[in-house]
Amino acid sequence: MSSIASEPILDRAADVPPPPRSFIAQVMGQAFIRWSARIGAIWIALVAFCAAFAPFIANSEPFILKSRGTLSFPLFRGLHPVDIVLPVATIVGTIVLARRKMQFFASLCLVLWACALTAAASCWPSTADYLKQMQSLFGQSAAIVLLVCFWTGLAAVIVLAPIFISRRSTLITGLCLLPLLIWLMIYPVRPPKTVVYEKYRDLARAGQVDYALYAILPYSPSDRLRDMGDSAFLPPSATHPMGTEYAGADVLSRMIYACRIALAIGLISTGIARLIGVLVGGLMGYFAGTLDILGMRLIEIFEAIPTLFLLITFVAFYGRNLYAMMVIIGITGWTSTARFIRAEFLKLRKQDFVQAAIAAGLPLRSVLFRHMLPNGVTPVLVTTSFGIAAAILYESTLSFLGLGLIDEPSWGQMLNQARGVGASFVWWIAIYPGMAIFLTVLAYNLIGEALRDAIDPHLTKA
Amino acid sequence: MQPPLLEINKLSIGFDTPRGPIQPVREVSLSIFPGQTLAVVGESGCGKSVTALSILRLIPQPPGRFLGGQVFLEGRDLLKLPEKQMRQVRGHQIAMIFQEPMTSLNPVYTIGEQIVEAVTLHQHVTRTQAYKIAEKALHDVGIADPRRRLFEYPHQMSGGMRQRVMIAMALSCQPKLLIADEPTTALDVTIQAQILELLQRLQRETGMAIILITHDLGVVAENADVVAVMYASRVVEFAKVEDLFDHPQHPYTQGLLRSVPRLGDTATRLQTIAGTVPNPAQFPAGCKFHPRCPSMQGDMTCATIEPDLREIRPGHWVACHHAQGYSQSPITTPHLDYTHTVPMDLITNRIEPTPAKERTP
Repeated sequence: MSSIASEPILDRAADVPPPPRSFIAQVMGQAFIRWSARIGAIWIALVAFCAAFAPFIANSEPFILKSRGTLSFPLFRGLHPVDIVLPVATIVGTIVLARRKMQFFASLCLVLWACALTAAASCWPSTADYLKQMQSLFGQSAAIVLLVCFWTGLAAVIVLAPIFISRRSTLITGLCLLPLLIWLMIYPVRPPKTVVYEKYRDLARAGQVDYALYAILPYSPSDRLRDMGDSAFLPPSATHPMGTEYAGADVLSRMIYACRIALAIGLISTGIARLIGVLVGGLMGYFAGTLDILGMRLIEIFEAIPTLFLLITFVAFYGRNLYAMMVIIGITGWTSTARFIRAEFLKLRKQDFVQAAIAAGLPLRSVLFRHMLPNGVTPVLVTTSFGIAAAILYESTLSFLGLGLIDEPSWGQMLNQARGVGASFVWWIAIYPGMAIFLTVLAYNLIGEALRDAIDPHLTKA
Repeated sequence: MQPPLLEINKLSIGFDTPRGPIQPVREVSLSIFPGQTLAVVGESGCGKSVTALSILRLIPQPPGRFLGGQVFLEGRDLLKLPEKQMRQVRGHQIAMIFQEPMTSLNPVYTIGEQIVEAVTLHQHVTRTQAYKIAEKALHDVGIADPRRRLFEYPHQMSGGMRQRVMIAMALSCQPKLLIADEPTTALDVTIQAQILELLQRLQRETGMAIILITHDLGVVAENADVVAVMYASRVVEFAKVEDLFDHPQHPYTQGLLRSVPRLGDTATRLQTIAGTVPNPAQFPAGCKFHPRCPSMQGDMTCATIEPDLREIRPGHWVACHHAQGYSQSPITTPHLDYTHTVPMDLITNRIEPTPAKERTP
């Protein structure tokens, strides 16, 4: 015993110890050793890639057009702010993750933060529309209040987010500069109100194009191919790999653009639900007593709300709004998470290691979210994968019922359009979006399952 | 003489249970000096652990309530500190190790992560420095190859190793007081001895005070300087370890000592104390020990009036009507100096530490 203790271990190895890997990094590492999780991640990554780079993959407008001696870049002129912010966030995120210099958690936060910013930025056009509606409904003062709330919230997020991410001042500076950078990039973007897709093909037919570089799939999702004659319900062919829909638009192009809604609705609505659920459930379970009783009544109230009917009612009164749909799915879907977290926390709060953490003087934040949450998050991971799937299915259902977005394609809306002329069955519009929904839901499940196993130390081989 | 590190003054704690309010701690007064080891002994349910937890204010409230009393750490009343300052005390000035090493470490973090979190919280160091402190702490508690162990998970370690890790974690912030709540109960006997030896060595090196909660009288005799015997939520006897073992005054202490098996004893059965610990919801009137007391002999005083803790000899407090003084045995402590004993008007029980060289080994 004493011989071990007196061994000069510190002298022998006076160099810096190996950089510690955070818990999340370890879990990720363990989870993605599995081939199933890798396949799931690859599919999600593919969907994410399509969502981020959709306008560069499928677009009727050419990258570069040289017509009658003048050079122009029609594709870039037609971009929306989202089309710029999404690729930027993806590229920044990938670089940050690939460099591995930063701490994993900090970099993850950076990427998530970039995504949140993206969501906020992409929210803006529809918020403007929403404001106009509000103004007509409630008058100008309410609209101004809403506008002020939105920007105060956004400003609060920008100011407060770095505090919760990392103590490092460099990171904070970087994060503060990022919105400025993105704002500078999207400021000059003024997409045209109406786009005439035929004009480039007309130019080509007239022989006035000297040189043109198109995207891999030269069809925009809303390009109805009116100049192409009878283009509706064309079966899959070399020009249209997944055929065309009832109005003649390319199905593959719409599939690619629909990735955006599928990813966004799943992640944002489930994110809102998990955030509320973990907070409410965690506080209920940790403090128990009166708070627990009140929380359970709140859960029961929210469980009594039928999500689908609330969504339909909202759409009927306030019009189609994707972000409102996300929020509604989020604030009605947190109850199962809260129940699971509450049950886990009730069990964990009496455990010795939680008592030891409190006795070590750790703040409540650390006790709750660093020591209790990872031990109780396991069932939530499973509900999260199902929650994302359910959110995608809610959106699909609404779209299938014809209550989803009109101008933007979504997989559910395409399923609706699989009913051809005279209620005939158009297989290519049914199979491909159906497969996409199925595979995405499956991928989330595979990842969730691998994470569940990785987070459970009893299953890891010592 | 230096002031006591921690003074508990007439601390009372109540719990609201479905069967009515109970008082697991009633007017407990204790004090501990730097470098001293205070052992708190007693049967299960006598309030030892609740007293220890209340020092760090770890009693769940509700159902627990502080009914009265003070806990002074170097003159500051811990019970009146705001929660934020209390967090500075926890782990930094008073550390605690728990009975069950198998469940006292968070299973999802490595040993290193857990020590480093506590170190970076209480000391202004970078993570790299904190890892070095953690490595040294593991080295100090006698863990072989601490660098590798830092990156291991609790489930990769045995019970004794985990208790060592708990001690390393507790000591990494150099606390002034370590509360060890039955640190060896869950361990087997050889590991017990190693852990206690380790605690003694670390105490010598750092000069911290230890409150050792146990029901093992052997552990008390080996490790403690001062002993508090608790029975039915109260301290019934408080004395130096030699005085207590040589001249137990309270009948309960005498019963406890009689029930310890002795080397060379030819009796076939161990002696026990008749009866059971009273239910805290229905304490008997008068002295709480009188239904089980062999020396009561029909004394109505015992059945009606609860005896106060009184100092029958300098440095020896007993809560018994029948306790008499005794003459100091010249063999155990030949030249004890009681000139520093606190005046009688102080409520808190204090036993000044003997200079180290005079302590019996």
